[in-house]
Amino acid sequence: MIIKSLPKILLATLAACCVSSLSALEEGDMLPEFSIPSIYAGKPAISSESLKGKTVLVDFWASWCAPCLTSLPLYNELYHKYKDQDFEVVAITVDNPIEDGLDFLLDTPLDFLIPVDPLGEISELFEVYGMPTSYLIDASGTVQLVHMGFRSGDIEIIEEAVKKALAGS
Amino acid sequence: MKPITVFILGILIILSVSACTEVRAWERGYLAQPEMAWKPDPLESALNDHIFFSKEASSGGNSAAGGGCGCN
Repeated sequence: MIIKSLPKILLATLAACCVSSLSALEEGDMLPEFSIPSIYAGKPAISSESLKGKTVLVDFWASWCAPCLTSLPLYNELYHKYKDQDFEVVAITVDNPIEDGLDFLLDTPLDFLIPVDPLGEISELFEVYGMPTSYLIDASGTVQLVHMGFRSGDIEIIEEAVKKALAGS
Repeated sequence: MKPITVFILGILIILSVSACTEVRAWERGYLAQPEMAWKPDPLESALNDHIFFSKEASSGGNSAAGGGCGCN
């Protein structure tokens, strides 16, 4: 009996596995609600509520991820270029311990918001699949772009999407 | 077999393989720790390779691509 139903069992297993991968944040989804502390002591927590009405690039990075470290100075330039148009960059570090991220920031100061997620709670919420992953959120809170990895030339793709999102807001 | 039985059996199969957990993207820092490297001490491993080559008259085939973020 069980052998006869084996294809069905396997299909059910596959379906259950697929359900877990379908929950990742995708283009067209709304920005989930979150509130996370800043990496800098004394700075206020960063929440999705405080980002409402802004075009936001949410980036997940870590000091052990080489492409992440390449992307961050370029995001800093992007931030300075468009910050007057209500553009914000939120670069969430998943470093554990947090000091690893701070060490990098001592050498490479960044001017945008840097919250910490050492336990991966927010990364789990976004269902981050690779490092780095960035999410461009428009002023209405809708995800306009999900970008995984960072290669040369990727900043142009992201800047184009930022310009498009800013034009639409 | 009723669909609910099939579903429960499927869940049981998944639970039985729960030891095979996936390292999530944000946890890959653990794989980048020095103690996770195949060869934590390059000098010692070079010496070991040399000794092995001297004794066995063969070398190579003892390395693999390292860990890291696995993103690019």
